[in-house]
Amino acid sequence: MEDFHPHNDEMIFNADEAHNIVKECIEGVLGKADYNHNKVNQWTAAIVEQSLTHLVKLGKTYKYIVTCAVMQRSGAGLHTASSCFWDTTTDGTCTVRWENRTMNCIVNVFAVAIIL
Amino acid sequence: MDDPGLDGGSGNTYSLRASVQHRFKSSTVKECIHAILKEKLANVQYIPNDMPQLTVSLSETIKDRLKEVGFDRYKMVVQVVIGEQRGEGVNMAARCFWDADNDSCAHDVFMNDSLFCVVAAFGCFYY
Repeated sequence: MEDFHPHNDEMIFNADEAHNIVKECIEGVLGKADYNHNKVNQWTAAIVEQSLTHLVKLGKTYKYIVTCAVMQRSGAGLHTASSCFWDTTTDGTCTVRWENRTMNCIVNVFAVAIIL
Repeated sequence: MDDPGLDGGSGNTYSLRASVQHRFKSSTVKECIHAILKEKLANVQYIPNDMPQLTVSLSETIKDRLKEVGFDRYKMVVQVVIGEQRGEGVNMAARCFWDADNDSCAHDVFMNDSLFCVVAAFGCFYY
């Protein structure tokens, strides 16, 4: 009977897997770049879009929300927190922090299960 | 069509649409966020040690407030970002893979001379 269980491990959101996907996307986009005011809009868009595309390709029955913040490094602080009202047994989240010499990048992924 | 709002339990309603009165409305959510930010951050200065607590409490407050509004059968995600205002560049983006007919998001930005705060709230309909 276990084979028919809809929530076997393969179908459930895996935070580590998402973490790796997002990290690769960030590195692909920001790589060795330095903070550039004219390009940052395009970068954040590329990071969220690529991450989302890869997550969707996993073929799990989830809705995804991906947010990304890129901040120029100037010694100023940045804090982020999230609160979720959802089913903790199926839904999950993953946060990736990335930084280089000139910028900090924080990507959040929220995965909300679709159960029909 | 059944009114999805009537079933308070956790079972599926198999309804594919949120009823009009319970829909996650961006404008309502934005007003909620705006009011809370104005109230909580009006004269707050950026004090590094207080910020972790403040971001968490803000996100909790906003989530609880949204729960009270009565978006039935919505799962909600509230994200709060607070940064120090020092003239540095910041850019945020979000993309969602969801059911655009039912799911929605809202955001609001608050700024004073010491800090800036961005809040994004997302609502996902639970069928």
